[in-house]
Amino acid sequence: MSIDSPRTAIVGLGITEMGKVYGRSATDFAVEAITSAVADAGLSLSDVDGLYVNPGIKNDTDMRLQSTLGMRDTRVLATIQGFGSSAGQMVQYASLAIEAGMADVVVCVYADAPLKEGKRAGAAYPGQARAMVGVGSLPFAAGLKAAPERYAVGARRHMHAYGTTSEQFGAVAVAARQWAQLNPHAQMREPMTLEDHQASRMIADPLRLLDCCLVSNGAVAVVVTSAERAATLKQPPVHIWGWGQAHPGYVNRRDSEFGLVTGAAQSGPAALKMAGVGVEEIDIREIYDCFTYTTLVTLEDYGFCAKGEGGEFVASGAIAPGGTHPTNTGGGELSSYYMWGMTPLSEAVIQARGQAGERQVGKHDLVMVSGNGGVLDFHSTLILSPHPKGR
Amino acid sequence: MALAPVVRDDFSAPFFEGTAAGKLLLRYSPSSGEWSEPAARFCSVTQADDLEWRESSGAGTLVSWTIKPGRTKDEVTTPDVVIGIVELAEGPWLSLWLPEVDQSALAIGAGVRVDFLRPEGSEHLPVARLS
Repeated sequence: MSIDSPRTAIVGLGITEMGKVYGRSATDFAVEAITSAVADAGLSLSDVDGLYVNPGIKNDTDMRLQSTLGMRDTRVLATIQGFGSSAGQMVQYASLAIEAGMADVVVCVYADAPLKEGKRAGAAYPGQARAMVGVGSLPFAAGLKAAPERYAVGARRHMHAYGTTSEQFGAVAVAARQWAQLNPHAQMREPMTLEDHQASRMIADPLRLLDCCLVSNGAVAVVVTSAERAATLKQPPVHIWGWGQAHPGYVNRRDSEFGLVTGAAQSGPAALKMAGVGVEEIDIREIYDCFTYTTLVTLEDYGFCAKGEGGEFVASGAIAPGGTHPTNTGGGELSSYYMWGMTPLSEAVIQARGQAGERQVGKHDLVMVSGNGGVLDFHSTLILSPHPKGR
Repeated sequence: MALAPVVRDDFSAPFFEGTAAGKLLLRYSPSSGEWSEPAARFCSVTQADDLEWRESSGAGTLVSWTIKPGRTKDEVTTPDVVIGIVELAEGPWLSLWLPEVDQSALAIGAGVRVDFLRPEGSEHLPVARLS
């Protein structure tokens, strides 16, 4: 059994203050984002009968938000953890619950507050703390701890296999910054050049500081309901046309595609098939960009360019403002804010609604959203549109 | 030393008995004839559950690597840390520290052999050296 034509839509969006915002817990941020999203939709908290909660790296909020919010008799409720793929997953599970008649109005929220005043951003993501017991600890003991070095070995594989260069990674960073300059909510809005990228300090060779995403405190929530109900609400509905997930399960052995091919190669086509559209019909791409390399390899795997040609594609200016393939139009996680998969999803909702102001992409009929978690281990895709599917 | 200490558990006891004796043990599936990484619970090709410890040649090639730059703090500079993915001749990949490596000699496909070092308070741990 499959759902060919989902009849659900995103009707509310709540975004808190982002970045170096101290003195507030993840739960504080989550409550603000949820109440903001519900109000944005023209609903009240008493209308909400479903809640999915994705805690971030600090893992200090969860489905007990139900009680915090005073919700009663909630019909679907869970803490969801798919790392960077969580936002896409939550919207999928919310849609499934609504399609199945389990719930009518489902809120999906991500919240985290890893930044501490006076501490470096890198200290917020030091690598998974784990007891150094047994053979599973060997990569960590060798120094492969935090995300930058783990993505770096993947990026180097791509560079070797396809001739991808650091300057091409830099083109992704520069394009993201150009979009961020048009986004009043972006954390990093000062101009950046390719020279700035190349001069930025090495974090984990070949990845430089300006290849790495931001770290942000804050929360984002979205409200999902049926397309029928969406038509009666305050905001232009953002219809959910298709979705997919793929979790490659890389094995550490000969012939592994780690670094070369990601879950996007499966979840993208699955979502496009469900939506009934071709990749060439996508107007806007909101790609999970924890690192510049992630954007590049995901664009390849979605099919916006041939495998191995991502470097030339991004360096051509295609993804920057004014380019042929507008991508990460709010500045992404690299320059706007880092809310895991809610960064691309929130910008997708804003663009699909036509509410992006100076950075609004003219043709915004189909928006493709990626989520990526672990070290390319977990992937989700959404296809969104301001139009009901099939009409 | 860049290596962090690791202690054994029941599963890894044979592996660390091996490293103490200068041997690298991997997981081998008699039913498939395939080798898997030391942490594998199932064969990485067939998912067979008949894995047993078997000695590797300890020879391999470099699949990829990263360099974490050294840092200077309180006038003390720590050296760069080079970590590589090594593909052993038997097929499995290990992520290993390459101590005191000549960075100009790093190349994908470069020959590597496994060596062993023992951080304080740790079992003997595998490291990689260019061969």
